[in-house]
Amino acid sequence: MQELLGKIAALDPEASLGLRVIACFDELIIGNVNTRALLSAAASLAGCNAGYAQEHPRRVVRVTPRGELAPSDGAGPGGLVQQADGLTVWLEREGPKHANDDMILERLALSVRIRCGQGTQDLDNRRDLGVLLDGAVPVDERQLAATRLGLSTTGSHRVVAAPLFALWGGARPRGPEDVVPTSLGSLHAVVVPSDCTTVSASPAGIGIACGVEHLPHSFRTALVALRLCSLPGTPLVNADEYAGLIGLLADAPSDAHMPDVDLLDDVMTHAWACPTLDALIRAGSLRQAARLGGVHHSTMQQRVDVIAAMMGFDPIDGLGRTRLGIAYLVWRLRHSRVLDLPAPNAAVEASA
Amino acid sequence: MLARPGFDPELKAGLAIVGGFFPPTVTPDLIDYMRKAYASAPIDDTLRGRAVKLENLTIGGHRGDPITVSILRPAGASGLRPGVVFTHSGGMMFGDRFSGIELVLEWVERLGAVLVTPEYRMAPEFPDPYPREDMYAALEWAATNAETIGIRRDRIMLAGASSGGGIAAGLALAARDRDGPALVGQVLDYPMLDDRGIALSTRQFDGVGVWDRVSNETGWSALLGEERGGPDVSPYAAPARATDLSHLPPAFIDVGTAEIFRDEAVAYAAGIWAAGGEAELHVWAGGFHAFDIFAPHTALSRGMIRTRDAWVEKIIED
Repeated sequence: MQELLGKIAALDPEASLGLRVIACFDELIIGNVNTRALLSAAASLAGCNAGYAQEHPRRVVRVTPRGELAPSDGAGPGGLVQQADGLTVWLEREGPKHANDDMILERLALSVRIRCGQGTQDLDNRRDLGVLLDGAVPVDERQLAATRLGLSTTGSHRVVAAPLFALWGGARPRGPEDVVPTSLGSLHAVVVPSDCTTVSASPAGIGIACGVEHLPHSFRTALVALRLCSLPGTPLVNADEYAGLIGLLADAPSDAHMPDVDLLDDVMTHAWACPTLDALIRAGSLRQAARLGGVHHSTMQQRVDVIAAMMGFDPIDGLGRTRLGIAYLVWRLRHSRVLDLPAPNAAVEASA
Repeated sequence: MLARPGFDPELKAGLAIVGGFFPPTVTPDLIDYMRKAYASAPIDDTLRGRAVKLENLTIGGHRGDPITVSILRPAGASGLRPGVVFTHSGGMMFGDRFSGIELVLEWVERLGAVLVTPEYRMAPEFPDPYPREDMYAALEWAATNAETIGIRRDRIMLAGASSGGGIAAGLALAARDRDGPALVGQVLDYPMLDDRGIALSTRQFDGVGVWDRVSNETGWSALLGEERGGPDVSPYAAPARATDLSHLPPAFIDVGTAEIFRDEAVAYAAGIWAAGGEAELHVWAGGFHAFDIFAPHTALSRGMIRTRDAWVEKIIED
């Protein structure tokens, strides 16, 4: 996979390979794979042999980048070495260190400790940021995690969520970051100060501002914001734009029964549906909606009539507008494709 | 969403890397990108340290147009050797004659085979029948010139991966029907066989892994245009459409459970058995498309490669 990492870097010099290495080992840890598999991944990522030794009982394993076992008789740690708790791992790098070597070795050491360490069945492989953003963890543990991450426990922060393939232009926000497992897959999360209301990432969602004890909620709102992105038009969504509404969406079960959303499925089969609904939920009147949607007001009226007939309520009258707005947001979440977008450089290449 | 088998944990981890350059969903606007992303590594780098010699030739392809063919021989080989005609992967639209070559180079180095890998012309610029007829012309050329290029005429095997596996299966059908070269075997790795996309597995992996339903439609549309899924597609282009699977060379077919080609591969093997033919089928649990190319270090890939190599050894080794 070293060749693949090289490919990614060549196609997109801005790509964060370190995050991919982290995500790779996260999956290996979750998958509970054996030591050879961990060493194979490390060797494959590094392009050189990876090794492992434990003291009691004495065991040495060396694996090539192709996942084959290399002779272990008399072999010991060499090259880049990391040691802890009677376990040693290494990369048999000859010549200068490569850019991702430290990251690969650190993740290998962690994952081997979890797989082989003695009495490590309950070793928490969660990292501080994952703990901080998990509402199921007791609040005092989360506050300790925040302190370890150097976050002020009295200040206000936001969580930014992005897929691993997001394009980052310009300066990245400063703050603790990691790859965090979610129900949507492994995502890149960064905690930023509350006055940071935009980032130069595409796609990305910015969560609401809050104290450290509520960061799991900020993360959930960031995930909703992220899923409301749609490229190329809407690369970034800040949860603030939707205020409390996004909080409701964040806490609603994904399979909640929402008849208005089901009805909207039929409306959305019309080619004009997206721009029309966008205009309707932003506008204060039919005429303004027509202007925003770039159509004549009689055309807008016809579409409103179609929507009213299909939904069974008037979408621009009183509660109807709210129902349409919420149904449209949930529909966008259910149909969001932003997390299975192709590699970002594809968009760059296509527009180049 | 349809239920579907999950990915093997090592392969799922591999996807964290693979996903960085090979999107699950390839649409027509990504063809140019895929040509860059899926281009093979420089062949000199691949061959460094291997006892393999490379020769490039120009031969007549479909309609006699010139195409490039590379011949890879074991260094120091003498006499006539088993021959392998290899069709590379890349969805009919991208890749080159050295894509995925590392896995077949083992047969050159370890089994002493001579590998013939043609640069067939690709869709959409060169739609059907160019890719398969360039390959057929190369197969005929290799058989006709067998002695000159150091191949035993009575021991020629076909191999191909993905779209190349589909083309290889079509070559075996065409060679049978046209009284073409005699073939001792066909290795069809996760082959792309059916333009109709009617198998359940086609719909199970939208947006995940490598090569989903939309990518497949992109590839078949590039190859067949408006004809895709219609009544007039040749079985040499889409071998799943063949109604006669008798009298074919022994087939080796491998595929993953977590890929869209699973059910097409199983059906093709079943069709060969029904016609009284020989097919060895291996379905690897948790494998995404072409996982042995992208993540050869994993336990599942090593098993797949070892199993395939053992079959090839049985068929072609002296």
